[in-house]
Amino acid sequence: MMKKLKMNRLLPYFLGAVVMTFAVSCTDLEVEETDSVNTVGFEGILDPPSFIDGLYGSLNGQVGDQANLFAISEVTTDEFLIPTRGSDWGDNGIWRQLHQHNWLTDHAFITNTWNQWNQTHFAAAQLLSPLTTLTAEQSGDAYFLRALGMWVILDNYGQVPVRDPEASLLEDPAVIRGEEAVAQIISDLEAAISNLPAGGPGATNDRGTKAAARYLLAKVLLNKHVYLGTAPDGGDMSRVISLVDDISGEGYGLQAGYFDIFREGEDVETIWYLPTAVGNRIWNGLHYNMAPEIAGGGWNGFSTLSEFYDLFEGDSEINVPGSGQEERRGFVPTEGVAFTGDAGTTESGDFPGFEAGSNVGFGFLINQQYEIDGTPLNERGGNPLTFKRDFRDGDGNVSLINNDETTGIRVMKYNPRYGGFTGHEIFFRYADAHLMKAEAMMRSGGDATTMVNELRILRGATPLGSVSEQQMLDERGRELYAEFWRRNDMVRFGQFTRDWELKDPSAVGDTNLNLFPIPASQIILNPNLTQNPGY
Amino acid sequence: MKNKLLTKLFLLPIFLMVGTVAMAQITVTGTVSDATGPVPGVNIIVKGTTNGAQSDFDGNYTLNDVASDATLVFSYLGYVTQEIAVNGQTTINVTMSDDIQALDQVVLIGYGSTTVRDATGSVASVTAKDFNQGVISSPEQLIQGKTAGVQITETSGEPGAGINFNIRGSNSIRSGNNPLFVIDGVPLSGGGAPAAGVGTIGGGQARNPLAFLNPNDIESISILKDASATAIYGSRGANGVVIIQTKGGRGNSEGVWELSSSISSSGVRNSYDLLDRGQYLQALEDFGNNPDALDFGFNNDFQQAILRTSTSTRNDVSYSKSYKGGNFRASFGYSNQFGVIKNSDQERIAGRLNAQHKFFDNKLTVSLQSSISRVNDQGAPISAQAGSTGDLIGSAITANPTWPLSETFDPGSNLLNPVNLLANYQSNSKTNRFLANLSLNYDFTDELSAKVTGGYDLSDGETVSVFGPGVAGLNQVSGVGDGIYNTNENENTLLEATLRYEKDLGNVNLDVLGGYSYQKFDRNGINSGGRGFRTGTLDDLQDQLVGTFEAADAAIQGGYQQFGYDANGGFVARFDPNAETPFEFDNTIPTFRRTIRAYYATVFDNFDELQSFFARANVNINDKYLFTGTFRADGSTLFGEDNKYGLFPSGAFAWNIHNEDFVGESVSTLKLRVGAGAVGNSEGLAFGQALLRTGLVGIGFNGDGTLTPAGTRFVGNSNPELQWESTIDYNVGFDFGFNNDRFNGTLNVYRRETDNLILTSQLAAPQQPGIVNITKNLEDGTVVNQGIEVGLNYNFVDTDDWSFDASFNIGYNQNEVEDTNQVIDAGPINGNGLTGAFAQRVQAGQPLFSYYVAEFTGFDADGFPTYRDVNGDGVGDPDSDKTFVGKSALPDITSGLSLSARYKNFSLSTFFNAQAGFYVYNATDNAFFTAGGITIGKNVTQAAITSGEDGAASTAVSDRFLEKGDFVRLQNATFSYDWPLEEDSIFSSLRLSVTGQNLFLITGYSGLDPEVSSNTGTINASAIPTRGIDYAPFPRPRTVTFGLNARF
Repeated sequence: MMKKLKMNRLLPYFLGAVVMTFAVSCTDLEVEETDSVNTVGFEGILDPPSFIDGLYGSLNGQVGDQANLFAISEVTTDEFLIPTRGSDWGDNGIWRQLHQHNWLTDHAFITNTWNQWNQTHFAAAQLLSPLTTLTAEQSGDAYFLRALGMWVILDNYGQVPVRDPEASLLEDPAVIRGEEAVAQIISDLEAAISNLPAGGPGATNDRGTKAAARYLLAKVLLNKHVYLGTAPDGGDMSRVISLVDDISGEGYGLQAGYFDIFREGEDVETIWYLPTAVGNRIWNGLHYNMAPEIAGGGWNGFSTLSEFYDLFEGDSEINVPGSGQEERRGFVPTEGVAFTGDAGTTESGDFPGFEAGSNVGFGFLINQQYEIDGTPLNERGGNPLTFKRDFRDGDGNVSLINNDETTGIRVMKYNPRYGGFTGHEIFFRYADAHLMKAEAMMRSGGDATTMVNELRILRGATPLGSVSEQQMLDERGRELYAEFWRRNDMVRFGQFTRDWELKDPSAVGDTNLNLFPIPASQIILNPNLTQNPGY
Repeated sequence: MKNKLLTKLFLLPIFLMVGTVAMAQITVTGTVSDATGPVPGVNIIVKGTTNGAQSDFDGNYTLNDVASDATLVFSYLGYVTQEIAVNGQTTINVTMSDDIQALDQVVLIGYGSTTVRDATGSVASVTAKDFNQGVISSPEQLIQGKTAGVQITETSGEPGAGINFNIRGSNSIRSGNNPLFVIDGVPLSGGGAPAAGVGTIGGGQARNPLAFLNPNDIESISILKDASATAIYGSRGANGVVIIQTKGGRGNSEGVWELSSSISSSGVRNSYDLLDRGQYLQALEDFGNNPDALDFGFNNDFQQAILRTSTSTRNDVSYSKSYKGGNFRASFGYSNQFGVIKNSDQERIAGRLNAQHKFFDNKLTVSLQSSISRVNDQGAPISAQAGSTGDLIGSAITANPTWPLSETFDPGSNLLNPVNLLANYQSNSKTNRFLANLSLNYDFTDELSAKVTGGYDLSDGETVSVFGPGVAGLNQVSGVGDGIYNTNENENTLLEATLRYEKDLGNVNLDVLGGYSYQKFDRNGINSGGRGFRTGTLDDLQDQLVGTFEAADAAIQGGYQQFGYDANGGFVARFDPNAETPFEFDNTIPTFRRTIRAYYATVFDNFDELQSFFARANVNINDKYLFTGTFRADGSTLFGEDNKYGLFPSGAFAWNIHNEDFVGESVSTLKLRVGAGAVGNSEGLAFGQALLRTGLVGIGFNGDGTLTPAGTRFVGNSNPELQWESTIDYNVGFDFGFNNDRFNGTLNVYRRETDNLILTSQLAAPQQPGIVNITKNLEDGTVVNQGIEVGLNYNFVDTDDWSFDASFNIGYNQNEVEDTNQVIDAGPINGNGLTGAFAQRVQAGQPLFSYYVAEFTGFDADGFPTYRDVNGDGVGDPDSDKTFVGKSALPDITSGLSLSARYKNFSLSTFFNAQAGFYVYNATDNAFFTAGGITIGKNVTQAAITSGEDGAASTAVSDRFLEKGDFVRLQNATFSYDWPLEEDSIFSSLRLSVTGQNLFLITGYSGLDPEVSSNTGTINASAIPTRGIDYAPFPRPRTVTFGLNARF
């Protein structure tokens, strides 16, 4: 009997414990909002100001990087190539393919650029969704960034996937092309111009302004005939001219002192800069031994072709100070300069009395490079560091691989003496607008010579007698090298498919290459996309 | 149900009484003992009846009403079950012997146990006596190579290194092939312990998730391999389940102290054959360099400068005791293991208390298993994701041998001085872990019992890692200093209730289990970092990192989720899900003492829940036909709205052929097993991937030491359809034993098909800003693993003086990806000029981890490498002419051989481990040891300068660096001596041993060790893990251990 009593007394407790287990723990499996706001579908942008901050912030990486948009805009042209130097810069062939024009559909930079700038216009579309509440100025930013993202995609890939922010992310995005895409971009830019704040030249134009939107609209209109496969339209050209005039009306213009434009601080040329470190533009070409004092320094990759270097006035064999070159070709200092305490500069720690980094030249670096005290520098193998015009392998054959550390002329637009982490990288510049206007005049039957010479005289170059298409393209190259525009310009001038040194012969004349392929992975993911011809 | 149950309760005593009256019976008494004395708690049952008793505290038992021709069955976990015919005896004393019968070995299966003999699924168990010896830093090393089809590889020789633990191949194409670990009934949360990155050098390796357990506390490790065994774990069972059981105090009625102590010495087994000063300068000259410009005047071996011979110790003490109605064991262990690379060590302090007590006439059993531990890790600046500048190892093996061995020497030119690096980096992690499991089991009747279990696992860790400003050659860090301070609290709560019904219907035995389980995984912590230190020792800098966080935390009023300050100001970001604007940004930060120039911190806090219902039925007919059916329904917050619950059924059948009359006596075991089931894998699903989440933008430093701007954004691309990965598994097995199982073995053939593969891959553009990827289940694609496993044991000799046993296992596994158009590059190769380089590709028709590389066709006359032209464009280019070369990093064959011999008190056991049919990518050679290395003034191996390669030759990934990895390793050899003891000795046993680990390696591989897996990171969204890549790994040591074990 004892047994049974105990058991009966215990049974309820035990069953109770079991029931408690269920009661305490049975769950509907809902996720609580402990450190994020969670929704099943899109319900609008929660906090537009911080979202817009984040969106502009993401452009820093997209523009500041030496890879992705910069690489596919510059390394695919006669302005840049990166030979494989010993084991350096092989990087799975990624750099060589760009210059040779034999990129594949899974090229990482082509894929990344596609993803990044599509994200930009999608984020802007999320802001413009009726579920998000925006101020007029915020909507100006959103229209501007949506247009920018779509334009980068249209310009490089010829088709733009668009997503309804409210639809499931698993739905296939629709795709817009040609006329429809251009019209969308133009209408967004018109909305941006009316909603964005006016902002003249200043230290703070690191966000969208009326001038930046006008500049971008001028750029779109100047290229519109390329996207539509037609001849340039007179109405578009005159609109380019009036847009540039509007920008100039806000106080922007050309400014003397070419390399000072690429420093932090105010100037009348900078329409839009990104507060991203300029180091990538510096280190990618600088030799390892050239900037020991500047943290970050020297990756010894990017070089230019001698044929591009030869576009500039001056003796092609020498580029030390005062050797008759035009201002924009820069110079290689044979020793550093005395430290003056000029804004943005620092005194060298290893060589007191000198300005740190002032042994690194401006523009184009060729031949022997020097230490700050004038000592000739060596490469890592202990031999003299002399940058050479040609790309030759160990046997003297012209080659993109098996190069040593010294082949190729280096390009230095942002100078390390003003800091490697200076957050001031120019994206839109008035000199470009000035040349766009000149080109629009030329394309609508006018004469651009005066406008081009206005710039040339300011840059210390001999005025031209007349300006042909070729001279217009060359002038754009001389003024805007390493500023993202070379591919776009060469396509518009029909020269992107011409031959140049170390281009794959089978790529020459292949107009399919004017557009990049839709990335291989993306073609599989979205059946609404069609692969561009030739890929 | 309840009525019936009560009826039975009342009727049971009546049956017993009736029985007594009906037959003439005798009473049997006796004592049960083992080699060390009386054994309480032994079950004694009259065979074929329910009449039974248990031995008491003194081992005595009394059994009434025993038919004089009956047979008594004595059974107890860990002992051989004995059957003794009564033959009219009234006193039967029994000496229990340790269970040496492999097939009677108890195997823990989910929510219960069985024996190998009764199992229907493919299960294996390794008990303490078969564990590997020596320096065992974590439990899985105890069973490395012991079981067919189980491949366990430490990712490096670092103390506490992560593991790849594969049971029957790799099912997933992404990470998450490790099994589910269940410790004393508590399933651990998935994934390895988080890796600590190495500042700006690169990410770290994942840490070992089991390092907190003291291997000496482990009684057995059971491995459930096929779905019929693992389906009871549902969505977490697909990769197999490893059940770890810790030791209790059973069978030690006298109270036993056990002391074990060991001291080990570790060193590297081999090292790279680098050039010395003279050879280096000569090589520079030979390759057209200017030796004078690179001669710093010294002759040093930087490889040796970072290596050491280390001495590690381990000391454990335990006390265990059993008494009438219960038992307990308490242990304390301390170990301190030092790596063969300086500044790497792992210290573990672990205590455990396991206790069991029965109440109310043994109806209620209360069990507690609890452990508390502290693990302190120290790490050196090593990362397999290091790029062109390398890490500590990379810089040491390429350092110019003429450099001074100086902590302050700065070589310039983007080069790292390993001595400087070592002196200016300090990384420490501390993890406190509390794991406990309390269960109440109540036997309502002999047939019906219920159990309630509460499990709690709290892991509270922090990592502080700094580079001092004195570090030379690190972009953005040199002259400034950089550090991180992260904390991570993981809380895993388990509540479980099961009901079990066992019924003996004469010829049919029924065992039915049903249950409910709820598990919650809470995570919270901070990630913070600082840049720009004032001066101080590395200890001071670590204190500044922690102190800055604490000061800021105290100064900021109210809750916050992120804060930061730099030269330009500061901010505080707050989160309140119920507010009008959930995220608020203050563009100021309160003042507090700032010892670091710039600092940020982000708080995280989230949890996952798993709710499950499960059932299992075992039917045993005549001990001949065994049926098992299991079912589990798993619901998880990790799954999408549309797929909240997954269903996982399995079934198995076994036929004990040896119990059939047509089988002769010499065949002691012959069993056929057939099973199939559906299981899932949800590892790789992380918090909130099924939801659209808005959170804070991740924060970090710009190159100039300012902070990236704060903001909100969508944290991921959400997928409401997300679900588990599902595996269908088929298994056919034979178990056999001859001559009383003196020779026994098992053979399994299996096939597993995994689909619904979870893959993080690109979302069709446009995606959410900054986030390209979405985690989804592939609509197509299957990973098939099929193979054969054989395990054989033979006891050649077994006499009082001599014994010799051999145990051999071998597993063959074939892996293939099928039916998908996905093509995913994998296996990143890092180093100079190798950004974006990779060596493997996932594609249908190939095994996972298949090499996809250019085919090297030798050097041309000028010493430049040439490659086969695969795409037919007339040029063999290493990057556009890649192809599958028919080689994979997954071994076809894994094998283990244990030999143990004993002569009187001496014993020797050796354990060999072998793998075959796999290839290793020698990324160390690719990145460091080519002729191009010497051209840029880096040191290389002898082989690099004699290969005929030109110094300007470009280096690319190709099969030039792909090598067969086949090896045989003498993993372990232990020689031990059992000290002969006098009757009145205070010791009951005393054993001395010497163990050697990694004593020799037979392989054709040219690198240091083919058993390697450097985590070289990921090259695309899919984050495919790496296998078979050798990139300057932490060397696997050779270790000699002297050990002493005493019981008293």
